[in-house]
Amino acid sequence: MNAWLHLARGPLFWTALVFMVLGLLRHLALTLWETARAYHRAGDKDIPVRRVLQDTGRWLFPLRHLGERWPYSLTTFAFHVGVILVPLFLAGHIELWRKGVGLSWPALPNAVSTVLTLVVIVAAFALVLERASARASRALGRFQDYALPLFIAVPFVSGLLVMHPVWNPFAADPTLLVHMLSADLLLFLVPLTKLSHMILLPLTQLVSELAWHFPPDAGSRVGVTLGKEGERI
Amino acid sequence: MATPTRYAYHVEAAALEMSDRPRRFLEAFAAILRHGSYNVALDAYARMSAKCGRCASSCQLYQSTGAPEDIPCHRSELLLRVYRRYFTQSGVLKARLFGGFTLTDAYIDEMAEAYYRCTACRRCKATCPLGMDHGLVTHLARWTLAEVGVIPRALLVSVREQLEGNTHNTSAIPLPALKDSCEFLSEELHDIYDVDIPYPFDVEGAEYVFFPAVSDFLMEADTLMGNAAVMHLTGASWTIGSHNYDGINYGLFYSDRMMERIVNQLVGEVHRLKGRKILVGECGHATRSAWYVPTFGGPDAPPVVNCLEYAYAMLEAGKIPLKAEKIPERVTYHDPCNIARVGRITEQPREILKAICSDYVEMTPNRTKNYCCGGGGGTVSIDEIRAFRTGPMGQRKATQIRDTGAELVVSPCANCKKQLRELCQDNDLGDVQVVGLHDLLLRVIDFGTNGNGGAAEDAALGAESSGSRGADPMPVTAAAVATPDAAGEEGEES
Ligand code: HEM
Ligand code: SF4
Ligand code: SF4
Repeated sequence: MNAWLHLARGPLFWTALVFMVLGLLRHLALTLWETARAYHRAGDKDIPVRRVLQDTGRWLFPLRHLGERWPYSLTTFAFHVGVILVPLFLAGHIELWRKGVGLSWPALPNAVSTVLTLVVIVAAFALVLERASARASRALGRFQDYALPLFIAVPFVSGLLVMHPVWNPFAADPTLLVHMLSADLLLFLVPLTKLSHMILLPLTQLVSELAWHFPPDAGSRVGVTLGKEGERI
Repeated sequence: MATPTRYAYHVEAAALEMSDRPRRFLEAFAAILRHGSYNVALDAYARMSAKCGRCASSCQLYQSTGAPEDIPCHRSELLLRVYRRYFTQSGVLKARLFGGFTLTDAYIDEMAEAYYRCTACRRCKATCPLGMDHGLVTHLARWTLAEVGVIPRALLVSVREQLEGNTHNTSAIPLPALKDSCEFLSEELHDIYDVDIPYPFDVEGAEYVFFPAVSDFLMEADTLMGNAAVMHLTGASWTIGSHNYDGINYGLFYSDRMMERIVNQLVGEVHRLKGRKILVGECGHATRSAWYVPTFGGPDAPPVVNCLEYAYAMLEAGKIPLKAEKIPERVTYHDPCNIARVGRITEQPREILKAICSDYVEMTPNRTKNYCCGGGGGTVSIDEIRAFRTGPMGQRKATQIRDTGAELVVSPCANCKKQLRELCQDNDLGDVQVVGLHDLLLRVIDFGTNGNGGAAEDAALGAESSGSRGADPMPVTAAAVATPDAAGEEGEES
């Protein structure tokens, strides 16, 4: 068991973390590069910066903007608060970083972390239920749209049990192992799934706007490539 | 020539005979991705799409059909699936290992149907947390489909005439007929308002070269008289170019390749006349296409002004004298998506209307959140889908209009006007009149003459042009386009 724990906490964790960070950086670099290229080639470089920034900000901090399906929006919001804060600011996690690489930063009080963790767990199940209960999202939902929230809940459920052994009906070590393995796998999945939105989202409004800023000769070049320059309409 | 069987809209026979479409589609898609700038957006959408369903209820079509195929994200996924499978490394790898999705003829047909069930009005974009622009995906998908021949015939014949025909305009109006038409409008202005207002042709060095939707010359007499009156009263130097007098650009609806050529043709006419600015008439998509002049026209492209912006500025400057009496009927305003969605032209028309109407009411929602008239994205020109446009696609707009209780619906757009008229006819709103903004402005302008266009004359004018208001004008146009040579010598035949 100890060897497993060691593996999950050490090499597996670092591999997954590096994979995630590099994967996200790759997405970011490619997107920035292509965005710059699109801007460079655009015939009309007059980008409505204000509108793009407003739209971007509106969705990065979406509380003022719940829309018709406000229960769903509130659920995602609550879910995100926990999912972002707890892994980064849990006292126990920071302690591990301090021991491991000597870095440390302020932590959330454990009581707050516990509440946020409970929120994430409830919200993850609520996301799945809300998706299944609304006609449009049910029609659209793919396997991953249901599986991801549930899978994200696994490290939170197991983490909660690790923190509060009195609530834990299972043995401590297997619970910890589940926690670490699921967290490692989750990190691994981030760049490969729609979870990559955590790095790409701030760029999406800009990217959508730029797509309308055509290169001046894109049309004629496509015509040439397809051998249609001289063709009658 | 047209074979109506395959899609909801007619395409030319050649399109149905094309072989090897999946390969050609992918070649075209590859070329477009390489030369255009769509790839960044597609990549982001393909990766992130949350499939949350928020966009569904913002689309007027889904609101009335509730069909899964009509969810914006579902429609966009059709093209994104092709993109993922053939143009991303992971997609190619996955296909190699596990097989799965392959582009087929039937799939192309599914896209052909789906992307013409979206008017590319872009209303849904504002509700997507991930900023997915389904109007953009529709725009791109239609271009790619066009390269395998899938183009509604109504759009194709218009563009063919505009770029390769003798008349260089989408309604195939020959120059003599156009001049007759303008002369008639001048006479009309004289008879009703006792003013002499010319339609100047080929004035070199004019400040404004005027490009309305060319169909206005046949169908929107009042709008064009209003346009001329405003230019005349404000002492503007303006002109109509005899080589190109059509602001319509259906390239925007199905092919950037055509759009580029049409914009370049328009800029060419301005340069020929040594004009300084482009003045676009009351037409949403013509205005949005003209906003692409800086894209295609290079560094010394002429600035673009929409006639509403011009009229508003002149009204503000006190250069358009108004009578004391305002328009008494209840008036509401429909925002054309192409000028309103990004908030570029929403206030100017309202300010004008508030100044000239005594009972102006808003329909809700409006401005950047307006609902499409139901005929956007060029679908209004496709007569064979009228039942769709005025049914599921237009119902929401019909309800909005009904709720205002308005007698006059103003929309400064040739496409919206045609659609709204048909919508009112088909939805028990027969008493509602759809007009342009300059039509109303003309009614209240104080020309300082005796023939001030009293009530009786207004009524006479209304009766005279009611044929064009009520009747379905496009068959005439389509016939004219189909046989350009025989196209009526008289512009007023409709
Ligand atoms: C770092 C900044 C992040 C931002 C700005 C962000 C933003 C968003 C947005 C705008 C959505 C859109 C859909 C909705 O509201 O339902 C979304 C969905 C989602 N996000 Fe995030 N997110 C972030 C981080 C994360 C993280 C760290 C996770 C989990 C590891 C995560 C998991 C999810 C999931 C599972 C969904 C889909 C929810 C559903 O089923 O509808 N996000 N996110
Ligand atoms: S019709 Fe408008 S709202 Fe509906 S999907 Fe198309 S762009 Fe979106
Ligand atoms: S709102 Fe955006 S992510 Fe959600 S279903 Fe619609 S397009 Fe997809």
